[in-house]
Amino acid sequence: MSATPSIDGQVISASGLTKIYPRGREQVRALENASFSLRRGEFVAVTGPSGAGKTTLLNLIGCMDSPTSGTLRFLEKPIQDLTERERTHLRREQVGFVFQHFGLLPTLTVAENIALPAFFAGKRAEERLNELLAKVNLAHRRDHRPHELSGGEMQRVAIARALMNQPQLLLADEPTGNLDSTTGETIIALFKQLNREGLTIIVVTHNDVLGRATDRRLELRDGRLV
Amino acid sequence: MTWLRLSLKEWQRRPLRTSITAAGVAIATATLFSLLAFQRGYREGVRQELSRLGAHILVVPKGCPYDAASIALHGGSWPCYLKGRYLDEVRAVAGVATAAPVFMSALYASNDEQFVYVGVETNILALKPGWRIDGRFPENENELLVGSEAARRNRWKIGQQVKLPGLGDQNGLVAGMLAPAHGADDTFIYLRLPDAQRLFERTNELTHILVRLADPNALDETVKQLRGCDAGLAMNVVPLAHLFHTIQSLVNSTRVLLGCVALVALLVAGVGVSNTVLMAVTERTRELGVMRAIGASQRDIFELVWLETIQVCLTGAVAGVALAFLASRGVEAWVRRTLPFSPTDALVRWEWWIAAACLACVVVLGSLAGFLPAWRAARVSPMTAIQNAGGHV
Repeated sequence: MSATPSIDGQVISASGLTKIYPRGREQVRALENASFSLRRGEFVAVTGPSGAGKTTLLNLIGCMDSPTSGTLRFLEKPIQDLTERERTHLRREQVGFVFQHFGLLPTLTVAENIALPAFFAGKRAEERLNELLAKVNLAHRRDHRPHELSGGEMQRVAIARALMNQPQLLLADEPTGNLDSTTGETIIALFKQLNREGLTIIVVTHNDVLGRATDRRLELRDGRLV
Repeated sequence: MTWLRLSLKEWQRRPLRTSITAAGVAIATATLFSLLAFQRGYREGVRQELSRLGAHILVVPKGCPYDAASIALHGGSWPCYLKGRYLDEVRAVAGVATAAPVFMSALYASNDEQFVYVGVETNILALKPGWRIDGRFPENENELLVGSEAARRNRWKIGQQVKLPGLGDQNGLVAGMLAPAHGADDTFIYLRLPDAQRLFERTNELTHILVRLADPNALDETVKQLRGCDAGLAMNVVPLAHLFHTIQSLVNSTRVLLGCVALVALLVAGVGVSNTVLMAVTERTRELGVMRAIGASQRDIFELVWLETIQVCLTGAVAGVALAFLASRGVEAWVRRTLPFSPTDALVRWEWWIAAACLACVVVLGSLAGFLPAWRAARVSPMTAIQNAGGHV
């Protein structure tokens, strides 16, 4: 599988993207006819009210779900045509995830949490681990457990973990949602720094400060891009 | 990091719950192990004990043949006797190579210690090829051949004049000493048949006759002839091979019952393990979703949860084998109290193949128990990582 963006620099291109979920006898159109593209090195915010389809879009871009119709290309690979195994491989190698709730494994140390994606990929992680610990300024916390860390530190661990396999795209779901404003600003600064280094980032956020820090916004209302 | 290390970490999350689950497996394994070890030990014990007797047929007075066999094997006082003349009739039966007359009685010394006196003729040596005698077999009046344990307890030496325990002022000379035979012989005091009959005032009476055949394949025919002779109505003819099978059959019913208990214990433990791991999977749904999102495949998750289950089962199994080892003396004492006939040899026999069989059995159980939780865990969608809002880290 290719590890590089397409020749014209597009990481993501979506056309007529629609996702319909069954809910009992009804069908919920979570995302309807969304078309957009994302170039390499862009920093994009996905915004909109609750139920607008932000999470659905994130699931699709993150290769965690398939669209009902339309096409979604990630590094030129049509997501809708990939098998579960191919999507897992793509997620592992090309996408980094940052969650609102951090998603750290409580039984593992900081170092073990960060190294987890490399472990799943069967790669050696020591050198990259040290590099990332230094980048997020947590070298002194490497053997601590998540419950010994502050919210900001946990989110920095999550970011380091997301970067472990050197992904093409970083997806963040409300990364400042569980943090106070000061800590949130630290995380926003870290995202900006990563973007300056060339990483493509999509954040789903309600945070205006974070929204303003991005290059552009994709605003969703009732499943449609506005 | 390794898969084993990652799965071991799960134990730290709920140590009490996981340990209790492993304890359930340990109890079931200990039950299974004890049962298999007992089955092996009891069978071997009875076989060796009967083999040490050296006879193919035991001729005893009328009455319960199992009680009589038990007294003949372990030593004791007999409630009734055979007439001495029956011996000639037994010897006259075709196929009888050796008919060794025995007079046995037990007495208690002042310190309540039991002493078993066994009067025999020299032809007993034909039945006891395993005997190693230091000194010589009794040839003269009041000479003794003492078992190794009896000699050790009384500090008797060869050539020593000793007071016969339980027999007042009667004296005897230790003419020989038996090397340890690891059976009841070690505690017996052998003397000449006429001496034993005289000491216990039972002249011309015997307690039993040990019969060895020229051809063991002719057992049924010889037994038939012994039962058909004139003395046949006054004595019980007990083929020891049949006795062995009868004792095994009697014990088998208990064994089947215990086997069912062990099986139920294993099944309950398996269900317990499955339930515990299933609970752990449910509690970790979002965490599993995160692992899927950051690159774990369905197979990775299946193997991780399956490994966790096997780990709990194996830990429980090893603890169970250790528990069975520690409790083996207690189990043996209980079995001896419960069974109508138990050999002097170890009843619970330790063998590595039994431990290996138990571990293998538990691994199979763990594999089955872990399948459902592992399958459910593998089906957790990576979307769960985002969908489940709130909760812990």
